[in-house]
Amino acid sequence: MQDLKVQFFVSGGTVNAVDGVSFEIDRGEIVGIVGESGSGKTMTALSLLRLIPEPGRITNGRILYGEKDVAQMTDEEIREFRGNEIAMIFQDPMTSLNPVLRIGFQVEEAMIAHQRFSNKQAKERVVPMLQRVRIPAAKDRVRDYPHQFSGGMRQRAMIAMGVSNEPSLLIADEPTTALDVTVQASIIELIRDLSRELRASVILITHNMALVASLCNRVIVMYAGRIVEQGPTRAIFKNPQHPYTWSLLRSMPRVDEKEKERLISIKGLPPDLGKMPPGCKFHPRCKFRVDRCFTEEPPLDEVDPGQRARCWVLMKNIANPEAQAQT
Amino acid sequence: MAQAAPVIQPDLELSYEMPEQVTLLSDAWRRLRRNRLALVGAVIIGLLFITALISIVWTPYPTWLQAVGPTYQPPSAAHPLGLDQAGRDILSRIMGGALITVQVGVGSAIIVSLIGIPLGLLAGFYRGKVDTVISFFINIWYGIPDLLVALILVFVLSDALHLIPRGVLVIIIAFSLTRWMDVARLVRGQALALREREFVEAARMSGARDFALLARHILPNALGPIIVQATFAIPAAVLFEAFLSFLGLGLPSPTPSWGAMAADGYHGMDFAPHIVLAPTIALSVTLMAFNWVGDGLRDAFDPRMRR
Repeated sequence: MQDLKVQFFVSGGTVNAVDGVSFEIDRGEIVGIVGESGSGKTMTALSLLRLIPEPGRITNGRILYGEKDVAQMTDEEIREFRGNEIAMIFQDPMTSLNPVLRIGFQVEEAMIAHQRFSNKQAKERVVPMLQRVRIPAAKDRVRDYPHQFSGGMRQRAMIAMGVSNEPSLLIADEPTTALDVTVQASIIELIRDLSRELRASVILITHNMALVASLCNRVIVMYAGRIVEQGPTRAIFKNPQHPYTWSLLRSMPRVDEKEKERLISIKGLPPDLGKMPPGCKFHPRCKFRVDRCFTEEPPLDEVDPGQRARCWVLMKNIANPEAQAQT
Repeated sequence: MAQAAPVIQPDLELSYEMPEQVTLLSDAWRRLRRNRLALVGAVIIGLLFITALISIVWTPYPTWLQAVGPTYQPPSAAHPLGLDQAGRDILSRIMGGALITVQVGVGSAIIVSLIGIPLGLLAGFYRGKVDTVISFFINIWYGIPDLLVALILVFVLSDALHLIPRGVLVIIIAFSLTRWMDVARLVRGQALALREREFVEAARMSGARDFALLARHILPNALGPIIVQATFAIPAAVLFEAFLSFLGLGLPSPTPSWGAMAADGYHGMDFAPHIVLAPTIALSVTLMAFNWVGDGLRDAFDPRMRR
C-alpha cells in the first residue's frame, strides 16, 4: 500500500453523519482524527471497513485502498480485507473481548480467520504476540479469561489480536479513553512502536489533544461530519487557523504555558445532524464569525503548505483572539 | 500535555499468585452445590440414571415375565414392591421404567435443542426477514394445542415409520416437534442481545465469518440459559410420555413405562394400591428432582445471583 485515498459521503437515513470527507494516508503515517462526540470520527473509520451500522449507508464517494475500492468489494473480499489489511482497536477493552473464551484462543482465532497462518503456526505465534504487546508472564496468561486481565492488559490483548495478521492500517478508536493515565501512556507507546515495526499506518480517533500531539504526524479535525481543518501536527498546534481548532486547543490546560492563560470553553453544543445550520456549521458557536458565515459554507482551502482549513475568517487574520474570545 | 511514556520491559516476568481458573461451568457448579434442594435433586437424578443403567443388564425378574407369583400380591421380602395384576415384579418394572424415562427425557431435551438453537440463532443474528419468518412459525406453533398435535403425530409417525408397536423414538419426535419453541425463542432473545456486544463487533472487524461469530461468540455466551431451558424440557417430556402411556396411546404393553404401569393398576386401586403407587411416586419424585435442578441451574447461571 502506498497511497490510501479515502473519499466518501455517507448518509444515515436523511442524516449526514459524515459529509464529504476526503483524506489520504501514506504508509507508516500516524494520523489523528479529533472532534467532539458525534462529529463523525467513528463513522468515518467504520466506513473504511464498510461496517456502518444499520440504517446507515455509504451513499457516495470512494474508499480506495491501494488500487481497490472498498465500496465495490464483494462480501467475501471485504471479509478477507477486515483484519488482514485493516485492524481496529476499540475504546472499551472491557467489552470487546469475549468473556467465555481464553485470551490465547481469541488471539489465535484472529489469525486462523485469514488462513495466513496454519493452525499450528497460529498456536505458536500466540505467546510471542502477547509478549510483543508486553503482557507480562505471557506464557502463563494465554490460558486466562478476559476477566482475569486488567483493563490495560485487555487493551494489549486487543492490540495483539489487531496486529496478529500484520495489517498495514490500524484504526484505534479512542484506545485509551477507558484506561487510567499511566496505562494510557504505555498503550500509546506500544501503538507507536508497533506501527514502526510493522510499517503500518495508524488512524487514531480521539478527543484527547495531548494524545494527538504525542503520537500523530498529521491531524484531521472534524466537526459536524465535516473536516474543518487538517495539516501536520506541528502546524495545527502552533497555528490553528479554524476557530474550532483554536478553541479546542485553548480549552485544554497546558503544562508548559509560562503565563497563566484562562481556559476558554466552547459555548453551546454541536448541531443536531438532522437540523444543520446554513452556512458554516460552526458559526452558531463561533466567536469570530462574520456575516458571510451565516449563509455560505466555506470550502476546505489551503492556508499554508499542507494545511487546510474550512473558514472564511482564519485565525491568522485576527489580531487579539484571546481578548475577543473572552467576551 | 504529552508526557514521557514509561517503558514496560517486554520480558518482565512477574511472580504473583495466579487467580484460580474459573469457567462458566465450574463457577455455576460451585453455586449449585450451595443450593441444597438442587443438590437433593441432582442426587435423585443420579440414582435414576444408575438405576436405568443397571436395568439394561440386570433386573430382579424380566420386566415382561408374568406370574412370578400371585397376582396383586402386596410388597413382600421376595418382591419389595409387590406384583401387579399380571403377576409381574413391580420393582423390576420400575427399574425398566427408569430407563424409558431417561431415554425419553434426555432424547427430547437433545432434539428440542437441536431444533431450537439453530432457529433461534438464525432469527436473532440475522434479524429482518429471517427473524420474521422464524418468529412467525414460533408464534403459530404456540397457538396450536400441542397435546392434540402430539397425539396425532404419534400415530402418523408410527404408521409412517412402520414402528408398530410405537417406540420411544416416536414419543421423542412428537414431543420435540410440538415443544421446540421455548428454546428457539430463548436463543433468539440471547442472540439479539449478544450480537450487539462489542466483542462480536470486534470479531466481525477482524474478518470472522458469520458461522464463527455464531459458534464461537454468540452460542457459548448463551449457553447458561440454554442449559436451564433444556433441563426443564426433560420433566416435561417425561410427563408427556407417562401421560400418553397412561391413556394407552404411548408405549404399548409390556414396555415398563411408568405411565402405563399406573394405568395397569388403576382398576385394582381399591384392594391393591401398591400397583398404582409405585410408578406414580417414582414419576413424581423424578419430575420434582428435575425441576429442583432446573431452578438451581437457573440461579447458578444468573450472574445477579452471584455472591
